[in-house]
Amino acid sequence: MEKTIAAKTGNEAMAEAMRQINPDVCAAYPITPATEIMQIFAGFVNDGKVKTNLITVESEHSAMSACVGSAASGARTMTATSSQGLALMHEILFIASGIRLPIVMADVNRALSAPINIHCDHSDTMAERDSGWIQIFSENSQEAYDSMLQANRIAEHKDVITPVMVTTDGFIISHGMERLEMYPDAEVQKFVGEYKGPYNVLDVDHPITVGSIVLTDYYLEYKKAQHEAMKAAKRVILEVGKEFGKTFGREYGLIETYKTDDADFIVIAMGSTAGTAKAAIEELRLEGIKAGLLKIRVFRPFPAEEIAAVLAKAKAVAVLDRCESMSNQAGPVATEVKAGLYDAGVKVPLASYIYGLGGREIYIEDIKNVYRELKAIADGKSKPEQAKYIGLKA
Amino acid sequence: MTTKPDLKTWKDIPVGGVVESGTSEYFHTGGWRSKVPVWQKQNCIQCMTCWAFCPDNAIKVVDGPKGKERGEFDYDFCKGCGICPEECPQNNKITKELKAKDANLKISPSTGTGTPGFDEKAAILFVGLKEAKDKFNIK
Repeated sequence: MEKTIAAKTGNEAMAEAMRQINPDVCAAYPITPATEIMQIFAGFVNDGKVKTNLITVESEHSAMSACVGSAASGARTMTATSSQGLALMHEILFIASGIRLPIVMADVNRALSAPINIHCDHSDTMAERDSGWIQIFSENSQEAYDSMLQANRIAEHKDVITPVMVTTDGFIISHGMERLEMYPDAEVQKFVGEYKGPYNVLDVDHPITVGSIVLTDYYLEYKKAQHEAMKAAKRVILEVGKEFGKTFGREYGLIETYKTDDADFIVIAMGSTAGTAKAAIEELRLEGIKAGLLKIRVFRPFPAEEIAAVLAKAKAVAVLDRCESMSNQAGPVATEVKAGLYDAGVKVPLASYIYGLGGREIYIEDIKNVYRELKAIADGKSKPEQAKYIGLKA
Repeated sequence: MTTKPDLKTWKDIPVGGVVESGTSEYFHTGGWRSKVPVWQKQNCIQCMTCWAFCPDNAIKVVDGPKGKERGEFDYDFCKGCGICPEECPQNNKITKELKAKDANLKISPSTGTGTPGFDEKAAILFVGLKEAKDKFNIK
């Protein structure tokens, strides 16, 4: 297979993936830093490179509503948004997942207001963690591109039928130019396959009601069906990731481990920070510190068992959260990791950190310092702290 | 004709809770009723106004000697909204007559039930649940 090597930003990579997928319908509203995705894609529509019906709407609430209508009428549907836009979609996100529409969204992580800020953190996406969407994080443009190409397969799988959001980190990935390996259009289209929706509300020969009221008698069962679909999603994500590896040469799982096999100290991170952590690990290993990284690629469904298995032998663990959940305990990732460890019976000292809010830079040195603090904890010189802010002016 | 879905467990729910058409037939909204219309066939002029106004098709049409005619209420679906007694021309006629006799009488075609001289001529009475059960045997 002849791959094209190109210099692309994360937004360009996601737009290129959408061009290759060639969805039936896109409904979107612009918002920094995701605007470019649809801007570039609108060019593809204008130039006849895709057959997509692009619907420009008056808000993100309308964008997701149009996506719901479109997907319910049997069209492969995609959108893109970020931050306040995602928050404005909140109500409809639950409807999309509840009535089981396999919509795929490119979501660029950006801080939520107030104070208003356009830069990266994960608070927008974390605020939708209970919306019933599958959530996939990307370390770089390549992962964003690759995950977008897998997203439809995951969302539309008969055992899943659940919407997927693929995220990049605002500006860091979305506007950062990187080397991107692109696959031929025909190969991508073969991999993604023909769309076959779960149902079609416009099929006049088989009239149906979508979104009917379900009260005390069956709401609970309805949610259980979604719960089981999310469980099945774990298996399907792994299957699709494996097939993607066979086809295009890069395999994907729920998590990625970097030098964890012999690691005494493991840091858990998501998104672009995983790359920074890898660089920190390289330097620490030269100093003789056995450092490792556990990158969570898929946050929903949450790979609790897989994480616990990796952490079981570590002397100390740190979780980096690019989000405040104001729980007084820890950020959302740390809280979920701890719950997973409890269920698995793994008791390992765990320190949790809050970093990078509103786009605050995190440096290799910051992460090296986290590992040094883990070593001090393991040596009995200090106790693990929770929700400790990195890089705080204090 | 749709068949009544036989849902038992979460596994039986169609993806997304999608339902085939016509299933409102199995959802008996008559239980929402807090007042009950009672048809007095002997006073009915068969104008079909009530049938036309009923928001829920809760007035049945039956075959009569001269063709289609008004039948009984379908109490499985009648929500007791009171539109049929209000619109009934026969009820309106008797209301007007009673008001002409007594200028202080404050009744409408749907609230006239029980007023002296009303029930004997009205085509649709509108009564409480208890009265419907005790007097007219309507549950």
